[in-house]
Amino acid sequence: MQTLRTDILILGSGGAGLFAALHAHQADPKLDITIAVKGLLGKCGCTRMVQGGYNVALAAGDSIERHFMDTIEGGKWLPNQDLAWKLVTLAVERIHELENELGCFFDRNPDGSIHQKAFAGQTFDRTVHKGDLTGIEIINRLAEQIWSRKIKRLEEHRAVALIKAKSGDALAGVLMIDMRTGEFAFVQAKAVLLATGGGPTMYKYHTPSGDKSCDGLAMALRAGLTLRDMEMVQFHPTGLLAGTNTRMTGTVLEEGLRGSGGYLLNGAGERFMGNYDARLERATRDVVSRGIYAEMRAGRTTPNGGVHISMAHLGPQNVVKQFKGMVDRCADSGFDLAGGLVEVVPTAHYMMGGVEFKPDCSTALPGLFAAGEDTGGVHGANRLGGNGVANSTVYGGVAGEEMAAWVRAQGELREPDAEAIAATEAACRAPLGRRPGDVEGVRETLYELMWDDVGIVRDAKGLARARGALAELQARLDTTGVDAGDLRYNLAWHDWLNLNNLILVSRAICEAALVRENSRGAHYREDFPDAGELATSTYSLVQAAGAGFSVSREPVQFTRVRPGESLVG
Amino acid sequence: MADTEKIIEIEVLRYRPEQDKEPVWQSYKVPFTDDMSVLQGVQYIKDYLDETVSFRWSCRMAICGSCGMMIDDKPKLSCKTFLRDYYPGKLRVEALKHLPIERDLIVDATDFITKLESIKPYIIPKEERTLAQGEYLQTPEQRDMYEQFSSCINCMLCYAACPQYGLNPKFTGPGILALMHRYNADSRDGGQAERNELGYADEGYWGCTAVGYCSEVCPKGVDPANAINQNKMNSAINYFTRFVTPGGADK
Repeated sequence: MQTLRTDILILGSGGAGLFAALHAHQADPKLDITIAVKGLLGKCGCTRMVQGGYNVALAAGDSIERHFMDTIEGGKWLPNQDLAWKLVTLAVERIHELENELGCFFDRNPDGSIHQKAFAGQTFDRTVHKGDLTGIEIINRLAEQIWSRKIKRLEEHRAVALIKAKSGDALAGVLMIDMRTGEFAFVQAKAVLLATGGGPTMYKYHTPSGDKSCDGLAMALRAGLTLRDMEMVQFHPTGLLAGTNTRMTGTVLEEGLRGSGGYLLNGAGERFMGNYDARLERATRDVVSRGIYAEMRAGRTTPNGGVHISMAHLGPQNVVKQFKGMVDRCADSGFDLAGGLVEVVPTAHYMMGGVEFKPDCSTALPGLFAAGEDTGGVHGANRLGGNGVANSTVYGGVAGEEMAAWVRAQGELREPDAEAIAATEAACRAPLGRRPGDVEGVRETLYELMWDDVGIVRDAKGLARARGALAELQARLDTTGVDAGDLRYNLAWHDWLNLNNLILVSRAICEAALVRENSRGAHYREDFPDAGELATSTYSLVQAAGAGFSVSREPVQFTRVRPGESLVG
Repeated sequence: MADTEKIIEIEVLRYRPEQDKEPVWQSYKVPFTDDMSVLQGVQYIKDYLDETVSFRWSCRMAICGSCGMMIDDKPKLSCKTFLRDYYPGKLRVEALKHLPIERDLIVDATDFITKLESIKPYIIPKEERTLAQGEYLQTPEQRDMYEQFSSCINCMLCYAACPQYGLNPKFTGPGILALMHRYNADSRDGGQAERNELGYADEGYWGCTAVGYCSEVCPKGVDPANAINQNKMNSAINYFTRFVTPGGADK
């Protein structure tokens, strides 16, 4: 097996990974930095898919305190307040860095200053954007910075395990599969960043790209790390519902549609959000998703089983101008967003939960750092639209700086645990020794069971059913093989590995959802509909233990503001 | 897929370098519904008919630019091209033209990325501005000068479309020349002179023979042909200006 050596290994090429590489390079240009990514650099992952934009307190009248309070209240008092504070504070610096140093540009006011638009769940219009396709601008410019520097790339390399040192008390590196050749490689590194992005693609309707399969979270669980807030899976209210078979279904229609005044109408043509929340369509994502889901369960649906979004009352020409990307995509699927009705359905979008980490991006495993959607604690029970790309770019940059400092102070190449490498390789090769079977069938089953029983509305009975079904599904996958004739670009093998990760993380979601016997943000228990006492809020912790999981709860530390108080006068 | 009614024939150009001397066509019968994209057709082949077919994809919504392929000889993103538009005929899919095939529908993008790296694709500030000073002011009009050229998703369809790139692989090519123009036209940028050394070279703007097919196939409306054309004009003016301006042009 080939062994590669590098100072800093970064897993993932989204906003977090690329910013980490850039900042580590800026901190110490002599560092050997390697970005490993499952697809092509800048092409896979979800930062590039960001539509709406980037929350930051820039304008007169806004403040980082206000952004912070919106984040805490939106997160239903579960965020780690120090993490949320760092997010809103550094976002200001990062947005200027994106423009002035990287060359991004965002939409402008007539006076030439940055334009900020309305997003739901916020008390100020603070979302910076480039039209309705903001992520392309951010990732293109970031990738160009990386391409122009001596930063190494391992493209089409998938990480399969975090390998500890023989001593077991620190990370030695990461085992990878070179997807182009099908061969394994061990990358030994002084510091590793976990920035693969979460991506809840285990649900029937989901927004993330197809290569996202919770690889980082699964590797973290297998390495014994603790994940927090795993029950918190965000459903974006307005996923395109383009038909029952098209995979365009589930892709997100951005938040700004609701932010700018779009209506949601049920199958009977009624504007229904008033029945659920006084903020109507501009309520937070969790609330609107549940409202739509309730209409769906009551049978008040559109032909494909969702609801309609209607924009025409804002003037079709304005809609085309403001939301060109959305109008085009709807048109691809035969809908007229500007002048007609478009079918939408809530769609699994983002995982608020993830690896427990500190504001300096370090984790419980020395040598391992984490940033972006692989981490938990920044958003609590619900992420505000526009705080996602802010999170990945803010903490990616922090991670780059911190890793550079860590490598300088105490970085060393550690001898890896050879048994762990051999065991992981054997586990990954397991399906290759078996008769090829119906891998897609496993995926379809997973989609349905997660949507039905671990989705927008949950209860003890459904979660218990899902727990059993997920165990059965894992057993079914374990007996399903893939064609081993050729391992070069063997997509079926990677489908299998993706599903293996998705099922593991689905089980963690299910366990966390069982222990939270109240309803907060994205997690709604029909059998425990109350939010519970805010002052005694706890967050969930999940860790792999034997064949199952150990789950515990910790009280939230209100380090900056307590429920009932505000930092905004 | 219980509601499937129709079956379409998809021919895939297979190429597995270790076993195929040259690419060969292989035909598959794919059941489909009207809402299914060509990408899904290829995925169906991989999932149910032939696990060995290789291709790239990621976002399935025309944002990542991974799934470009020749579809009936036209470069297209397979995620936003629909099977229904080829039925009841068959369709042929193959790797993007003018780029080396790595395997089946997967091409080697090295040449594209190497060229992209070479054009200084980043802001070279006309005047430095610290982060604490806030953003550069840029009016919507100034922004409009380059906005459309900033939407490229590096899908390389324009390289597969460009006859000139097919003839002369040294030609910088449409997408990257449009990116060069994107930076040059940005009011914050002062790097035009540096970049134009490449832009005005034989492999730069003047390598283009103004066929315009690049703009036709662009899924994001970037219009590389327009970017190149504007620069041919600038280049010509620059060329003549250097004879009448002390110290030359490009200042």
